[in-house]
Amino acid sequence: MKSDMGLIVKTMARATIPLIGIFGAYVVSHGHLTPGGGFQGGATIAGAGILFIIAFGLDEAKKRINKNLYSALEGLGGLVFLGAAMLGLGVAFFYNTLWHNGPILNGEPGTLLSAGYLPIMNLAVGLKVYTGLMSAVFAIALFRRWRK
Amino acid sequence: MSFLVAFIWSFVLWLVLTAGTNGMLWSTEELIAGAIFAIIVGFSTRNIIGEKTQRFLNPVKWLGFIVYVIGPLFWGMAKANLDVAYRVITGKIKPGIVRVPVDLENDAQYTILSNSITLTPGTLTVDACPEEKALYVHWIYVREEEPKTSEPVAGSFEKWARRLGR
Repeated sequence: MKSDMGLIVKTMARATIPLIGIFGAYVVSHGHLTPGGGFQGGATIAGAGILFIIAFGLDEAKKRINKNLYSALEGLGGLVFLGAAMLGLGVAFFYNTLWHNGPILNGEPGTLLSAGYLPIMNLAVGLKVYTGLMSAVFAIALFRRWRK
Repeated sequence: MSFLVAFIWSFVLWLVLTAGTNGMLWSTEELIAGAIFAIIVGFSTRNIIGEKTQRFLNPVKWLGFIVYVIGPLFWGMAKANLDVAYRVITGKIKPGIVRVPVDLENDAQYTILSNSITLTPGTLTVDACPEEKALYVHWIYVREEEPKTSEPVAGSFEKWARRLGR
């Protein structure tokens, strides 16, 4: 069974997958400055992964996508989010202690290293959304029993 | 090596996206964050951007791309748009799919030529077959049913694609 696209789609996918990936990383990491954030950026990067699965076919994707790695990274994203939320537990849950008196991420508002724990949480949510969506889509793509 | 190509390719897009954070230029933290994210993206896509892509790091090739886009490609698009406007008004069409034999070697050349043919209105690449060295092109007004070269369909695009994708 031939499950991949033609030559032009493949070559354009080779060129555009890194670009979609870095654009998704830009949306995630500037979540506190520009529209977008963890979910939007993570879904953008998952779009690059879905483009990979569709353009190169399932056989190629099976070689490259590791179920355990994606599962572990999804859990790691959730844990980092929880860890950032617990940083200011001395005052309250979700207290933004990095912004009020933390060593980093308390720069001038409008710059990249500002807004306290928000960039950390955006990165964690982005990682979680990317790996979660990719695992779900890849699992659905592997489920092929139309005729039985 | 292909890691470096993916790194540079994604880092350039990051620089384009974040320009203007320090006056007209980039602030240091944006550059560092961009380098980190570009390393991650480059590392994860190093196996899928293809072999021998470092030939696209050649500045002479970038100059060739710029000259091609604002020269022959833009001129071809302007001409073809007027031609299609003429065919819309008068309704003189003779559509058909023709097989165009081309003399290209690698994937990048096929992609550049096919995208150029598709971008100029009136012609649309349906399929590229590297094994029989031919493109199948849907043409809005078929002038030659079995062209011997790509010249009647694409003009000078094949020469440029051969040069740019080499």
